[in-house]
Order: sequence, then structure tokens, then C-alpha cells
Amino acid sequence: MEVAKVTPAQTSGSHLSRNISNTYAKMLLNPSYKYFLLLLGAPINLVVLFFYLYRRKKDTYYSLLDETRNELLESGYKDKLEVETLEQLQRKHQFFGQIRSQEKTERQAKKMTEAMFQEKIDEVTNRKLQLNQQRRLNFSGTFESLINHPSFLIISFIPGILMYILIFLYSRPYLKYVFERLVMTLFVILGVSVLVFTILHLSPMNPAANILGQTATDEQIANFNKIYGLDQSYLAQLWNNLKGIFTFDLGKSFAGNEEVTTTIARKFPITLTLTVISLIMAMLIAIPVGIISATKRNSFWDYTFMFIALIGLSIPSFWQGLIFILNFSIKLHWLPATFNPQNWLSIIMPTIVLGTGLTASVARMTRSSMLEVINEDYIITATAKGLSKRQVLLKHAIRNAIIPIITVIGLQFGGMLGGSAVTEKVFNISGLGSYIVDKQFIPDIPSIMGGVIYTAITISIINVIIDVLYAFFDPRIRTKMKQY
Amino acid sequence: MIKTNLKTSQEYSKAFFAWVVSLALSVILLLSSYDFSANAVKPYVFLAFSAYALFTITQFFLTLKIRRDILRHGDIARSTRSLGYVQLLSILTGNLFIVTSAFHLVKRQKNPEYTLAVYTLLTGIFVIAVSALNLFKPYVSDTFLPSMFSLVIITIFHFIALLLVAKYVQGNKVAPFMIWIACLLILTSITGNIFALLLGLNLLFKIRNNGNPATAKWESIWEKLTQNTTAMIGLFFIIFLFSISVCSLLTFDYAMATENNYGAILLHPSLAYPLGTDNFGRCLFSRIVFGARTSLIVGIVSTAIPVVIGGILGAVSGYYGRHTDNIIMRFLDILYAVPGILLAIAIIAAFGANTVNLIVALSVGAIPTYARTMRANVLLVSTFEYVDAARAFGSRDSAIIFKHIVPNSLAPMIVKSTLTIGAAVISTSSLSFLGLGVEPHIPEWGNILKLGSTYLETHSYMAIYPGLAIIALVLSFNFLGDGLRDALDPKLG
Repeated sequence: MEVAKVTPAQTSGSHLSRNISNTYAKMLLNPSYKYFLLLLGAPINLVVLFFYLYRRKKDTYYSLLDETRNELLESGYKDKLEVETLEQLQRKHQFFGQIRSQEKTERQAKKMTEAMFQEKIDEVTNRKLQLNQQRRLNFSGTFESLINHPSFLIISFIPGILMYILIFLYSRPYLKYVFERLVMTLFVILGVSVLVFTILHLSPMNPAANILGQTATDEQIANFNKIYGLDQSYLAQLWNNLKGIFTFDLGKSFAGNEEVTTTIARKFPITLTLTVISLIMAMLIAIPVGIISATKRNSFWDYTFMFIALIGLSIPSFWQGLIFILNFSIKLHWLPATFNPQNWLSIIMPTIVLGTGLTASVARMTRSSMLEVINEDYIITATAKGLSKRQVLLKHAIRNAIIPIITVIGLQFGGMLGGSAVTEKVFNISGLGSYIVDKQFIPDIPSIMGGVIYTAITISIINVIIDVLYAFFDPRIRTKMKQY
Repeated sequence: MIKTNLKTSQEYSKAFFAWVVSLALSVILLLSSYDFSANAVKPYVFLAFSAYALFTITQFFLTLKIRRDILRHGDIARSTRSLGYVQLLSILTGNLFIVTSAFHLVKRQKNPEYTLAVYTLLTGIFVIAVSALNLFKPYVSDTFLPSMFSLVIITIFHFIALLLVAKYVQGNKVAPFMIWIACLLILTSITGNIFALLLGLNLLFKIRNNGNPATAKWESIWEKLTQNTTAMIGLFFIIFLFSISVCSLLTFDYAMATENNYGAILLHPSLAYPLGTDNFGRCLFSRIVFGARTSLIVGIVSTAIPVVIGGILGAVSGYYGRHTDNIIMRFLDILYAVPGILLAIAIIAAFGANTVNLIVALSVGAIPTYARTMRANVLLVSTFEYVDAARAFGSRDSAIIFKHIVPNSLAPMIVKSTLTIGAAVISTSSLSFLGLGVEPHIPEWGNILKLGSTYLETHSYMAIYPGLAIIALVLSFNFLGDGLRDALDPKLG
């Protein structure tokens, strides 16, 4: 019992340091991680570098290298190599009927010989090292030898915490994937902010003159520009806006004198609710329809469903909205024409209109994804095994076909958040979309920017969540991750 | 055996499709011929319904007869085929579905040229019929009569060309004198009838090949595409709209669509104003015809720009890989994160609402999708042996990309762009509807709808017809895109 208690602790100590040094060596080979590793662990890397330079002086490798070179030169290996190479080159030129000057050929041969000779030297030296059971000293090797001292690990832990966290992330494929995905999203969010700001900054319009009217004096315009920081340089404005986006403080809007972010926060929930309900409705209808179409391929139902789906793709949502209002509100008086938060009936038409396009495309996607899966070998295996048609479909076909569909839904979600602008205008819903549209007539730059950027951020975050969940649920992606 | 015969018979499936669609159209006509609020029958619409119903019933029995023929004899009898000539008369009612099925039925051996010739003729007839509606107007443009006259002559020529094609084009053999017909056909495509152009080019290629049975890849693509009814009908509608946009320069009066006429405000549909007039007294029918031009141009240009830019970016990124790929794709990720319509709104807010800005705004947002499609294809094609072979021969990178990789990865791009022209048309009209697109004074479908939406309660036709036009155009592009996908690469389906 006593022994058993001691051993794991001991091995885990050495196990940990071995893990760290292994990952460290791997990361140094990775072109993009190398710099982050060196930068984040700068204090420790400096120490390692110091040791490395110190030890290199005493290293046997270079003396061995010189020794090998002299040996090979003495044996006349290089001259033999050069004659051979020259002959090969001449034969090659003769064969292809190429005419080259003697001098040029010789120069080329010399160059090739030099490279081959260097290679040979390295090879022989390494063999000698192996014979003597030595290893060539390198940077990661130095680190490895240092980290094997527990005291080094403990001392370096505080200054190198960032580096150790990075090493830890890198050693777990799933964490590494999630981490990379998050960094990418951050980059995208930053990029979107810069892009949208730049587009609106390049605008040839003069917001001050637009809002204050034609009669505004130069003084008033200068004052307006000063209040909203429009007199600053591009970079200063960009910095302020980026700060504003991450701290949820974009200042006041040009018109109406309201806080941009609070207005957006007030308008966003209704847009999101609308989108999510439409999304759920679309999935509930589209996935069964797609599956039926795929299993009964080329039947009457398949043709009918796919024709309806095609019409659904081709219908402009604002026209659909108008026709719905005309029939169900004006003629039949079944549903209210405009949205009213107190009346749940009034959300039916907007969700159907918003969800039509998505339903159509998801149904088509489900069908083609299912058709692809149905022809796979494992479906034949499952059928041959004697499973009922229903089991084959539910357990094997749908589970595999659903993966690309979820990606499409994630991507379409963005389109829906954007497309809600049109639907909101038709049904007079005061959501984020109609807010952006209304504000662009002024044009109220901070409001438009806030609206577009926060929508894009929402979409990016949702896509990250989908990707991460995916990798969690799909074993194929996880194995692929481990192969990196 | 017999069952498969029925399934592989083109004539049967087309006849079946024709009668089902025709039945649906008849039902729609029947419903709209009855005025529920006044409890009265509209005589003209009812007449149209009767005509449609008559041909639908004939078509139904014809379909049954074809079915019986195939099940009994494995082939369609001569008498059944000659019944197709009767159904050809349905051209008088404008029932495209029955007409195309009848044209298909009457000829035993069909080739792409015959189908193209049929559609060339039909396009001409439809353009003349629609233009002729102007006769009921109080006045017509000065160029109306001469241009109608030339259109009729061209259509007669197309009819002769159809007969000649039916007789002298057999399989891969084309009579040599057809070269003149082909040249004339290409000349007549000046009316915007692209079917004539396609037919002429097809004939020229066949004559040049000199009956060589070795077919190029694109010939088999044509064969598949012309056999696909829905794709051809989509293509027909697009070319018809294009042709009428071209011809409307001469046969329609632009003033009718743009000048205010206070004597004819908010009139309901009549013969002089087939779709009624709007609140400025402008003829809705003329406005929709002129709007086709804007919608087509904006839709096609705002698809062509991202296809080229995104295609080049995707090809470069897929071919060079590593850092180039990383940098290009990360920047496109940024663009991709913003929903297309919001990006368009931001660009239009910054630079103002007009047609050029609209095209730019729609193009920018579509670049990433095309770049991704192209990149995926290039990654796939780059692994093929012929690319390695070209590299081993010492071709330059640019030559490898543009001579070997791009032509072989174009198919999915063509399909995708056809399918997204429709989406671009919808986006254009949506933005116009919001007041962010084409300038309000230009007759554009979204603009017309925006105006119509304010009269939804009293004059709903003002909002319904332009919407139907949009749906028809988008549906046509979607049908054509699906057909192209099946023809170019069945695996993509």
C-alpha cells in the first residue's frame, strides 16, 4: 500500500514534465504557434536560450562535423561526386535535345554537388552521434533537460504561466480547437467592426449638414462635429468606436438624442424572438419534408414538396407579407395586420413569412443530404443486417445526414437576422432590422454601425457554438482533430 | 420491362406534366373568373378558362392514349402522334406547357436543335402577342408598326427554320446548305431571342464537325438540358423577358410607363390597360415590361461581379494554399460574417441609394460564397493527374490555373451563379421596396410594389402583379439552375 501511494506521485511528476517538453517541441515546429510560444514565455525562453548558448560551446556536434568534413574531403568523395553529377547533367541535356553552354552546365553541377555533399556530411555526422549514443543539442532539448528538474518547473511557473496555459491548451486537441475557434471569432468581430466603420467613414455625405439642415452655420456644424468626435482623425475615431463596441457604449445617436446601445438592447429581443420562432418552425416542417422526399424519391410527393420548396425560395418575403395581410387581415379578418406585443396572434404571419425561405432551403438541403447518405455502404450493411427500414432510417441515415443540415441552418440564421429587416418593415415591427432601415435615411452613422455590428457579432457567436457542439457530438471530427 | 418503358418515355412524362400544370392553371382561371363580392361571372376570364379546360381535357385523354400505346406496343402509334397537331392549336391560348409537349410528341426523332427551334419560334410568338396588346392603347409609339412588321417576318422565318431543322438535321448530320440558315438565325437574335443565337451556333458547330459522331462534352450537356422540361421553361421565360426588354425599346411607349396621366388614375384592368393603372395614371403593364430590364440587368451584373472577383480569389487561394489561402480566406470570413442585406444597407447608407451603389452593395456581400465554392473546387481539381502533368512540363502557375484548373472547376460555379441570380433579383426588389435600391422614378418591380402596397385595400392588383413577375423570374432562374446542375454534374444533386 505504501509503495502504491508513492509511485503515482513520482511518475506523474516526471510524466507532467515529459508532457510539457513534448508539447513544447511540437509547438516549436508549428509555424503559427511558434511565435506565440516564444512571446508568451519570453522570460523562460530567455533563460533557456542562455543555457542553450552556454552548452553549445561545449557541444561535441560541431567538432564532429568538422572532423567528418575533413575526412570526406581527404577521401576524394567530393571530386568523385562532381564528376558524376556533371556527366548526369550532360546526358540529360543530350536526351532532351537541350543545348547549354559548357560553363553553365559546370556551374550547375557544382551547385548541385555542394548541396549533395553537405547532405552527406550531415548524414555521416548524425550516424556517428547515434553510434556514440549522443544527441545533437538543440533549443527544445535544452528546455527538456531544464524542465526535468522539478525546481525549474516550480520557479518558472509564475513567470511562465501564460506559456504553460498555451502548452496545456495545445496538448488537448478539443480544447485547442475550441480555443482556435474563439480566437478566430474575436478576429472576425474585430474585422467586422473595422470594415463597417470604414465603409461608413468613407461616406461622401456630411451628416452634420444633413441633420442640422441647410440653414446651419459653419459654427453649428463644427460644434456638431466636435460633440460626436467627427473632427478627429480616422484612427482616433476607429479606436473610440472599437472601444465603444466592446464596452457597449457607442455614445448618442445623431438624431433623437438616445443612447445607441440601450436602444439596440431594447429592439434586439423582438427580432431575436421572431427569428428563433421562425427557425424552429422551419426545422419542424423542413426536415420531415426533406426526409419524406428523399425516401420516396421521384414520387408524386417528392415532386410536389420540391416544387413548393422552389416556390418558397422564389417568393420575395415582402410580397408574401403583403399577400398575407391582404387575404388574412383585410379580406378575412382572421389575423391582425400589424404586430402588437400583447396579441400573440399577430406574430403568426411574420414568423411564417420570415421562415419560408429557410424552410424551403432546409427542405432541399435535407433531401440532397439524405440522398447522399442513403447510397452509402453503411446503409446497405445496415439493411443487410436485417434492420427494419425504419431503424435504418432513424439510426443510420438521419443521424449522418443531419450534420451538414445543422451547418446550413447556422449559416442561414445570419441571413434571417438580416432578412428580418424587410419582414419587420412590412408588419411594422419595431425590431432591430427596421431600426437600421429607418436610421439609414438620416443617415445616423452610430446607430447603423451599432445595429449591423451587433447583429454580425450575434451571428458569429452562434456559429462558434454550433461548430464547438458539432465537434463535441461528432466522433469523426474529434478523431480528425487528434491527427493534427 | 414495360413499366420502365413508361418511365423512360420522354413523351409520356412530358404529356403528364403538361396536363397536370394545365389543370392547375385552369382551376386558377376558374376561381378568378368568379367575382365573389359581386356574385358575378367575369365573361372574358371565363372564356379563357373554357379554352384552357378544353385543351386540358384533350391533353388528359392524349396522355392516357400514350400510356396505353406504350404499355401495349412499347411505342407510340402514328395516330397518337398526329393528335399532337391538334394540341399545337393551344398556342392560341398561350398555354406553353401543352404546346411544348405537343411539339415534343409530333416528332419521333428529336435532337437539341429541334427543341431549340421550337423555343425560338415560341419566344417570337409570345413577344409579338404581348407587344400586340399595345394595339388597344389610345396611341402607340411611332416605331410600333414597322417593328411589329419585322418581328412577324422574323417569326415566319423562325417557323421555316423549324421545319428545315426538323427535316434536314438528323442525329449528327446536318445538310450543308443549313449554314445560311444558321447565319440568318444568329442575325435574328438581335431581337434578344437568345434561343435563335444558341440554335445558330449549335448548327454551325454540327456542320463544322461534319457528322462526326464524337460529341464534345457540352453537346451532351445540351442534350440533357433540352430534355428537361422545367429547365427549358425557365430558360424560355428568362429569354422571353430579355427579348421583350429589347423589343420594348421600339414597340412600347416609355412615356406610358413614366409620365403622369391624370385622366386615367387608378383604373382597374381593362383592354387598354391590361393590368390597370397606378395613382399617377401610369400603365402598370408597361411599367412591369420596362421593369424587367432593370431587374435582369441588376440581377445579372450583381451576380457576374462577385463570380469573377470571388472566383479569382478562390482559385488563387485554393491553388497556392498555406499562407495565401489563410490570409485571403480570413479576410473573406470577415465579409461573410455580415448578413448580405445588412451590408448592402450599410453601403447604401454611406454612399446613397442609386442603381450603381445597389449593384456594388449586392456584389460585395456575395464575394465570399463564390470564393469558397471556387476554392473547394480548385482544391479538388489540383489533385488530379493532369495538373501534375502540366507542372512537370514546366507550365507557369498562371497557365496551369487558367488553362487547366479553372475550366475544370467552373461547373459548380455556373450552377451556383444561376441559382443566386434569383436571390439577387429578390434582394434588388426588397431593397427597392425599402426605398434603398433603384431610384424611385425608374419603373422597377420593387418600386412598383412599394407604390402598390399603399393601395393594398382598394387596388390590390397594383401589388399582386409585380410580385407575380418577380416570382416568375426567380422561379425561372431556380428551374434553370436545377436543370443545369443535373446536366453538368449529376453528383451535385
